[in-house]
Amino acid sequence: MSREKDAANYALISFAVLSVLLLLFPASRLAHTARIVASYSLYPSLHYGAKYAHFVRNVPSNIVSLLETDQENRTLRARNKELELQLQRAAVIEADNERLAAAMRLSRYLPWAGAWARVINKDPSDWYGSFFIDKGSDDGIAVNDTVLGLQGEKAGLAGRVFEVYPKFSKVLLLTNPSASAVCSIAPAGMEALVEGRGTWRLKMNYVPEESGLTEGAELVTAKGGILFPAGLPVGTVTKIYPRESSMNFITAEVQPLVNVNTLKEVYVVRRKLPREFSEQEGRPQ
Amino acid sequence: MTLLLEILIYLGTGVFYWWWTQNLSFFGLAPDFIFAAALSAAILAGPVKGIAWGFFLGLYADMLGSGPLGAYALTYTLMAYIVHLVKRQFDMDSFFSQLVASVSLSWISMLFYMGLSLAFARINPTGLKIFLAEPFLNALAVPAVFQLFYRAKRRLHVL
Repeated sequence: MSREKDAANYALISFAVLSVLLLLFPASRLAHTARIVASYSLYPSLHYGAKYAHFVRNVPSNIVSLLETDQENRTLRARNKELELQLQRAAVIEADNERLAAAMRLSRYLPWAGAWARVINKDPSDWYGSFFIDKGSDDGIAVNDTVLGLQGEKAGLAGRVFEVYPKFSKVLLLTNPSASAVCSIAPAGMEALVEGRGTWRLKMNYVPEESGLTEGAELVTAKGGILFPAGLPVGTVTKIYPRESSMNFITAEVQPLVNVNTLKEVYVVRRKLPREFSEQEGRPQ
Repeated sequence: MTLLLEILIYLGTGVFYWWWTQNLSFFGLAPDFIFAAALSAAILAGPVKGIAWGFFLGLYADMLGSGPLGAYALTYTLMAYIVHLVKRQFDMDSFFSQLVASVSLSWISMLFYMGLSLAFARINPTGLKIFLAEPFLNALAVPAVFQLFYRAKRRLHVL
């Protein structure tokens, strides 16, 4: 028991003396440098506020410089990431800018008065059926106004305004199964009905077998149609189906000029249709 | 082999404490696992080893902190010696005595460390929030660390 007590006393004295020596000689550059490097490796932050100067006291300037360089490096890396994000945002804005500039250039050449509107909402369950735009009756939008989409440097028929609210409107797309347009087949001028199918393709009906329709023929809205202005590009014939025995006409598949998946802005052509057309839908205005 | 295991436990304690303070601090508060380890080692180990553990764990705490180098080493060395004296009179293995010891020794250690800091560096590193709350967090940590060290002692013959 006495030996154990002696050992404890000796241990206490030895370690206490060692501790006091460390306390009394804190200016030892080597000890302090080793301490700050070890501490910094575990907890790499020199932001100790008022304690900063105390913490790095007696540490050689090159070590402090090394640690400060590391801090600066971390700050610059964070700044670099922030700038990369800003660059990505700028690229998106630039692409938007180019697209809008092209739209503005095009709108100068469009022979119809109208207004540009942004697509603000698409319903995933009705992707090829309709979407909402950010212009409504407050902006002069009316039911059955023609909606044009921009594809490259060309404007084509996208659909028509179906419901109008003060601040926004609903657009019925040409690809909607209940939408249709009377089209003229260039160059002969033969008219046929183009209907939506709820997919990215359209169907052309009631084409006489002897019309001479070929794949690649371009379709524009016909003069005979009332809802849409004549001469608007609609799409291109991609496939012709043979006549069925019970029918007197052939059908064809049409690739719309306007891809509704890429539409971000549309041009709404103001139409002054007879009152009965505007009221036909019976929608809120 | 035993020495190697003890070094691993020593380093593991320090790293665990550092990780806890970096990730699980609550309102800037965390149990002082280095204190808990020093107290548990002092209870479980013999006098020399207990004091040595106290000294080296204190040194580790000094390396992590910004106070005067050697202050924690001296504090935990003295704490280990006090525990060595007390455990001859009381059963320090029981849960309740560990709670009482951890709360009272936390406060004594903090006051002693503050005194050393003020004397040698003229800074007071312990805020009021830590002074009031940390002893109770330590009281929660000490029995858990004690159980770990106890198992390590039985299975690995360390301490």
